[in-house]
Amino acid sequence: MKSQARSLRQRLFEPTGLDRQAPVPKIATYALLLVWSLVVLVPLYWVLVTSFKLPGHVDNGPFYIPFVDFTPSLQAWDFMLLQNNTLGPYLNSVVVALASTIIAVVVGALAAYALVRTRVSVKIVTVAVFLVLLVALIAAIAIFGIPWEIALSVAAALFLIALFTIARRTRLALGNRDIEFWIISNRIMPPIVAVLPIYVMFQQLRLLDTQLALIATYTAINLPIVVWLTRDFFAAIPVDLEESAEIDGASKFRVFFTIALPLVRSGLVATFLLVLILAWNEYLLALFLSNANAQTMPVLVSAQNTTRGPQWWNMSVLIVIMIAPVIAIAAVLQKHIARGLLVGAVKG
Amino acid sequence: MRRGFLLASISAVCGLVSSLAMAQDKPFAGVTVNVMTQTGAIQEPLQRRAPEFEALTGAKINVIAVPFSDLYQKVLTDWASGTNSVDAAVFAPQWMVDYIAGGYLEDLTPRVEADPNIKQDDVGAFFRDFSERYNGKIYMITLDGDFHMMYYRKDVLEEAGLEVPKTWDEYLEVAKAVHGKDMNGDGTPDFGSCIAKKRNAQSYWFVTDVVGSMTQSKGTSQGAFFNTADMSPLVDNEAFRKALDFLAESTKYGPPDELNLDVSDTRPLFASGRCALNLDWGDVGTISIDPVNSKVIGKWGAAIMPGSREVLNWETGKLEPCTAETCPHAVDGVNHAPFAAFGGWGGGINAAADPKVKDAAYAFFSYMTQPEQSNQDVTVGGTGFNPYRMSQLSFSDLWKNAGMSEEEAEIYLGAINQSMSSPNMILDLRIPQNQRYQQVVLDEAISRFLAGEIDKEATVQAIEEGWNELTDEIGRDEQLEIYKATIGAS
Amino acid sequence: MTAAAGTALEVAPRASLGEWLDRHSGRIMVLPAVVILLCFAIFPLIISAYLALSRFALAPGGFTLKFIGLTNFRKLLVGSQQYHFLGTFGMLGPLQWGLMALLAVALLFLLARYLLSGEATVIGTIGRLISASVVMGLAIVGAATIAAGGVPGTLVTTLLYVAVGVIVQFLLGLGLALLCGQPIRGRNIFRVLFFIPLIVTPVGIAYTFRMLADMQKGPFAPVVRAFGISEWSWATEAWSARLMVLVGDTWQWTPFMFIVLLAAIENQPRDQVEAARLDGANGLQIFRDITWPAIAPIAATVVLIRLIEAFKIIDLPNVLTGGGPGLATESMTLHSFIAWRTQDLGGSAAVGYMLLFVSTVVCVSFFNFVVRPARRFQA
Repeated sequence: MKSQARSLRQRLFEPTGLDRQAPVPKIATYALLLVWSLVVLVPLYWVLVTSFKLPGHVDNGPFYIPFVDFTPSLQAWDFMLLQNNTLGPYLNSVVVALASTIIAVVVGALAAYALVRTRVSVKIVTVAVFLVLLVALIAAIAIFGIPWEIALSVAAALFLIALFTIARRTRLALGNRDIEFWIISNRIMPPIVAVLPIYVMFQQLRLLDTQLALIATYTAINLPIVVWLTRDFFAAIPVDLEESAEIDGASKFRVFFTIALPLVRSGLVATFLLVLILAWNEYLLALFLSNANAQTMPVLVSAQNTTRGPQWWNMSVLIVIMIAPVIAIAAVLQKHIARGLLVGAVKG
Repeated sequence: MRRGFLLASISAVCGLVSSLAMAQDKPFAGVTVNVMTQTGAIQEPLQRRAPEFEALTGAKINVIAVPFSDLYQKVLTDWASGTNSVDAAVFAPQWMVDYIAGGYLEDLTPRVEADPNIKQDDVGAFFRDFSERYNGKIYMITLDGDFHMMYYRKDVLEEAGLEVPKTWDEYLEVAKAVHGKDMNGDGTPDFGSCIAKKRNAQSYWFVTDVVGSMTQSKGTSQGAFFNTADMSPLVDNEAFRKALDFLAESTKYGPPDELNLDVSDTRPLFASGRCALNLDWGDVGTISIDPVNSKVIGKWGAAIMPGSREVLNWETGKLEPCTAETCPHAVDGVNHAPFAAFGGWGGGINAAADPKVKDAAYAFFSYMTQPEQSNQDVTVGGTGFNPYRMSQLSFSDLWKNAGMSEEEAEIYLGAINQSMSSPNMILDLRIPQNQRYQQVVLDEAISRFLAGEIDKEATVQAIEEGWNELTDEIGRDEQLEIYKATIGAS
Repeated sequence: MTAAAGTALEVAPRASLGEWLDRHSGRIMVLPAVVILLCFAIFPLIISAYLALSRFALAPGGFTLKFIGLTNFRKLLVGSQQYHFLGTFGMLGPLQWGLMALLAVALLFLLARYLLSGEATVIGTIGRLISASVVMGLAIVGAATIAAGGVPGTLVTTLLYVAVGVIVQFLLGLGLALLCGQPIRGRNIFRVLFFIPLIVTPVGIAYTFRMLADMQKGPFAPVVRAFGISEWSWATEAWSARLMVLVGDTWQWTPFMFIVLLAAIENQPRDQVEAARLDGANGLQIFRDITWPAIAPIAATVVLIRLIEAFKIIDLPNVLTGGGPGLATESMTLHSFIAWRTQDLGGSAAVGYMLLFVSTVVCVSFFNFVVRPARRFQA
């Protein structure tokens, strides 16, 4: 029996087993994690506490602990929840975020599956002709004032003609990777570039200040992320199941819905959560596209900044009721986030 | 069950008929007016009085509130794009010009003239004759009187044996003398002067307070921004440079983060007793008498904006001492030019709205501005409405109920009165795209100057070139004509 | 054979639609996504391009758009707005010149290596030339405006936010993930807790940090006073203001890095780790030889995602300082937003396009030169 006398240094710094940490590193790890936990919690605590403050408590210097430092008041909560119309924007946010996320995930997953499992291609000439006609169409309507029905039909006709003549002759095409790249690269576009034209578009369609406008817009801006993430999930599942199903006669759609989708369930959940958060918190587009009816929560938060100054107490109430439900959802789904996002990004 | 159904439908029909009948008594029954304004103050009184108005007239007033920084664009986009979901808006007279250029604002002159209840002669002359009008026609109903004043701590000045500053030089002297003293008894040193200097906020008006007192001395029609001969900016001269010096020096006697303070930060700062001197709109008065939050009750005073003993010679660009000729409106040798910054919130109506809606909107604004309502609203800080009627300037029960003592009222309302009746009040810039002149070029240059990014000369150059570039882009002759028309210059 | 043919014949008339659908299933499945993106991405881009080339003015009955060519862009790059967009150029000292020269040499070297590798394609060359020239240009502008006497414009400020922010967030996220990857208890609690900052709406975070950073009324005011620096404010100096923006940004986005990297670390091959431990390797060696190669592709991807988002920063600078002091904290999106607010739609669109251009080049370059190799790196 070999007796191993462990020196003090060994006792402190070497792990006693494969799955355990030595004492000093363990303490250090917990300490550092605790520090970051404080970093995360302090601002959140401050927001929570501020929601119980009166203007005087905020203006006259920091007060930290309710009942000890200052007498908390429910005035801000009363004002924001009962007197102010907070329910409207809240419902708007819920509806818009949920709807746009669901649609984005469905459409995105569909597209991602197609890009991974099928051969999709579009001839470069077709793209070029399309772009040229689009520019001409816009110019015709905007500059020369041609009524849009005529312009649109002429453009559509020209496009179809080009499709069946020139396009037939050429071979050069954009394949899966290119289309995928194009879809994903749309995320790079800063919303500020697209905002005003989107506003004009909805204005022409009389859809301004409606939930529908926001749902459509959010779906569009989050689609690239959905495609990006789900594409990798689909690429990671083995082809065999799908192939055998196809041999048995199932159509691609059938395979998608009955086999592929269930297999990437956890990845979809992760994507859903991420996109939900993005849609829930979006500010710039909501600001432009909504007025009174479709106002969402982030805009309401910002609106608490009045010429009287930011109404910190009201704002804090809004922030708290905004993050509470999402934390709950995240806590429930947190395992999926990790696993899902991981499986996603691995395969190139 | 069937009987129950029958009873229910009968009572429903009865209810409908009776409400219709009731509604018939009200002139605007069934009319909805969408009024857009900013969140918080201004929204508050409109929203509060909407039900009263509905009870009186049957019109439903739907107040849509958006953040202040987005109000201008939202109304403009709504009207310019033809959406027209906004029937009326409460906004700044400054923005009137752009809305009129597109033909979006309704000419209210006939309505006002036919309205006995609105009591126009009670409205301060400046607002009635300048603020509400454009090219002689009335486009807005004044709901609020906006101009800058100076606030001071009576007790602090008394203790230091100093007089209330009357000129900008005296202001700096006072600020310097009391800076660092403890003014609210909490042991920490406080500040001599608090002026909002934050970028992209509401700070860009304060430089005009200073420069205007040197540039404009012969009355509102002289103007303080441009030379009425050729639309050249009144910037490359000794007066503007002196104003820049003032801003830089006052920062030394202010809070350490003054460059990041907006008026919404300096107001509570003054009210919690940390500033000896403060420049702001009328809100500081109503905030300072707030029994719950104010620490300076009974200790504050208000005065007309400091002026200058020297005025600018527009030809030479140099400052000259005030004489009876150059400063006809001088008080004790000091030329004061109170600046009606922002102009005072007012209600304007969308010309493209339904005629019935327009009538209802006008009736609402008239209701809001009538002394019975307005006189009460201006005494309450939370409304954002400041006095603009002569009848609001005397100490009344309304002021007493708001918590103001007679002594405070005398000083505060006196200062307002002095400012409002000054024939040398500066009208805020109203030419097309004035936002770009002030909010973009001026605000940015001053912010860079105060941050030390550029020096005084570069700042003057930046503003001068920026304004000239804008004027040339928009059209020099048109801008000159419009500028002269707004201030009533010949 | 005959049986199959028989069934095919029987089924043929009814299955033609289904068969046609199935044959084109790929295209049909991709179609909705493509159509949506065409409406909301391509169409607005074209209109914005036109806006960037014109001047907007209100006129009776609506508005006018006057075509003015590249004037807006010229103003930004060489004209009256150059100080705003690029910045004011200071004096470049010998050190900076040396660094610039070094960078130029490095880029030329990489370019030459590619051209001589035998795998060069036309598109590849053009792409690399664009990347190299943009990188060089940005480096020169950056160095010139950060040097003494120079003042960075919105372009450089945005790049600063992106570069410093992403690097710090990545390192912090990686550190936290490694810590959490240790055998500790409560990993799930930490996971949820650290995830929360990502959930708060950016506008809310901006206001929260404005509250926190208040030296007079914020929670750290006593600390500030104790240190005796209450006479100084972070908001009055350019670099401290930028730092505050970065602090808020880091608080919000580190969780994103953390979550993904933690998942990656949890998924590294455990048997290899155990074997290495048995062999007596210490933590550093394990990280270098096993963990890092395992997580490299994911790390690259997550950095790319963050890069794309980082360019769009607007809420924090807008709320914390309004873009000030001076121009110190103004990002390109904020620049565009302010221009839009005051009716300068052409200028706003021009800045937006510059942002699009810079972020596209940087992100695509990053994808090609970092993410792709990282994916191949994985053993």
